[in-house]
Amino acid sequence: MNSIIITRAGTHSTIQDFGRFQYQHLGVSPSGAMDQRIITELQKIIPNHQNQFLEFAYVGPSIKVKEGSVKICVGGNCNMSIQKNNNSQLECQPYKSINLFEGDELIIHNTIDSVYGYIAFEHGLGLEPCLNSYSTDTKAGIGSINRPLNDEDIFHISKDVSSWDLISIPKPDLEKVTNFKVYPGPQLQYFSDNTLQSFISGVFTITNQSDRMGIRLKGESLISSKSHDILSEGILPGSIQVPSDGQPIVLMRDIPCTGGYPKIAILNEVDISRISQLPPETKITFDLQTIY
Amino acid sequence: MYFKGINSYGDRGLVLDFGNETSKSISQEVNETFLNISNLNLQSLNIIPSFNKIVVIFENSKIRDQNKDKISMKMKDTNSQTNKKVTKAWEIPACYNEDFALDIKIIQKLNQITKEEVINLHSSVRYYTYYIGFMPGFPYLGDVPSQLITPRLATPRVKIPARSIGIAKNHTCIYPKVSPGGWNIIGQIPFDIFDLQSSYPSLFLPGDEVKFYSVSLSEFEKIRKYNFSLNELIKEYSS
Repeated sequence: MNSIIITRAGTHSTIQDFGRFQYQHLGVSPSGAMDQRIITELQKIIPNHQNQFLEFAYVGPSIKVKEGSVKICVGGNCNMSIQKNNNSQLECQPYKSINLFEGDELIIHNTIDSVYGYIAFEHGLGLEPCLNSYSTDTKAGIGSINRPLNDEDIFHISKDVSSWDLISIPKPDLEKVTNFKVYPGPQLQYFSDNTLQSFISGVFTITNQSDRMGIRLKGESLISSKSHDILSEGILPGSIQVPSDGQPIVLMRDIPCTGGYPKIAILNEVDISRISQLPPETKITFDLQTIY
Repeated sequence: MYFKGINSYGDRGLVLDFGNETSKSISQEVNETFLNISNLNLQSLNIIPSFNKIVVIFENSKIRDQNKDKISMKMKDTNSQTNKKVTKAWEIPACYNEDFALDIKIIQKLNQITKEEVINLHSSVRYYTYYIGFMPGFPYLGDVPSQLITPRLATPRVKIPARSIGIAKNHTCIYPKVSPGGWNIIGQIPFDIFDLQSSYPSLFLPGDEVKFYSVSLSEFEKIRKYNFSLNELIKEYSS
């Protein structure tokens, strides 16, 4: 038996996978990793990840091997180091597999000029799925672990590491994007041409009131010419909804399942991952695609 | 037929549009269509019915476009539609005791009726489950008798107790667990309606009929102690 203990949980550390589907009609949000590009890359290094990825934001977690050994890989742009059992310190890099032995501690300090990072574990973390997914929705209390990770959480990984060979891939090109091509939202016609012009030509700032549910933007007020109150309908991640204060919110992975605000536009799938990595105060712009 | 057509929702979603009105008959068509679309076994990630829309999401635009034709054909081919009903009729115990009825006075005052009238009116109607949304297992039920129609609270409550019964506009609901929310709370039911241990985690499904009956606090506490599973609740309280 191999086991690891969370020695420092970091901020907003949760278990995530590619999402929980087929339950949104029962009020269950899709959730899943905020930046799905990174866990897609980590699959190449740790193919047998069992869909149990650890997601962290800003301040990363520290994990220590209590018993046995584990093989892991970190994805994202972050500072980290390994405190070996014999007190020596080792440098380590994202997108390169890491072997950790009893007493070794991986310390992820923080993400650099980005928000989210991930750890993949060979053979997973010994978790059971919840509604066919390992993802965590902390607001709804749904998940293999239905809350953020805490200090002292312990995971047991019954299978032993398959090989100590170090595997690495070139650092993926996850360049920072601040201009987003968006498609018209279902309520585009709730906004006048002038307001749409403000949406396209305006600069919006990501505020610190942003989380896995949504990214709140600050910018020129986008007031609807019809109403900011629509009959609730199904919504998708990436939708940009505008409540009555005119300040848009980009809905992210832990979306409410139905919503009653008009949606001016929607991001494409990869841009949901891209925008999730922009820290507060980042300035962004939108381009509206008319033909799609 | 209320169905108006199929529109795109971004690069990977579709919206089946049933107009801008809301009524039980529109919802019945939406919920029958939801079953028909579900039975197509499309490569969809989620199919989300609401009052007058069904949103379908796919992994990418290519799969979306391939599946759009299948949905269009199904919508045109009215003969092949199953009008098979797979809904349940529920009789749900409700305790309107003042400990639970946090906002009943707002409804009394607005509509100039007594507490007993609120209870009698609320428990007199066989409600239709429009859809499940807002939070896991949360049923939108309606319509409440016109004397109970009340707007949402001006300032939403930060913490509504689990299992609370609420009224907002012409709808009534049950909060499956503790949540912030703006509905006027008038009572509580004695069991949980969403269970993650079950492969069918929501007690109520779109199209179900729900009628409440008033129980005393002691009766409420008695039922509460049974800790019914969803399967036991189906046996005890539905037909």
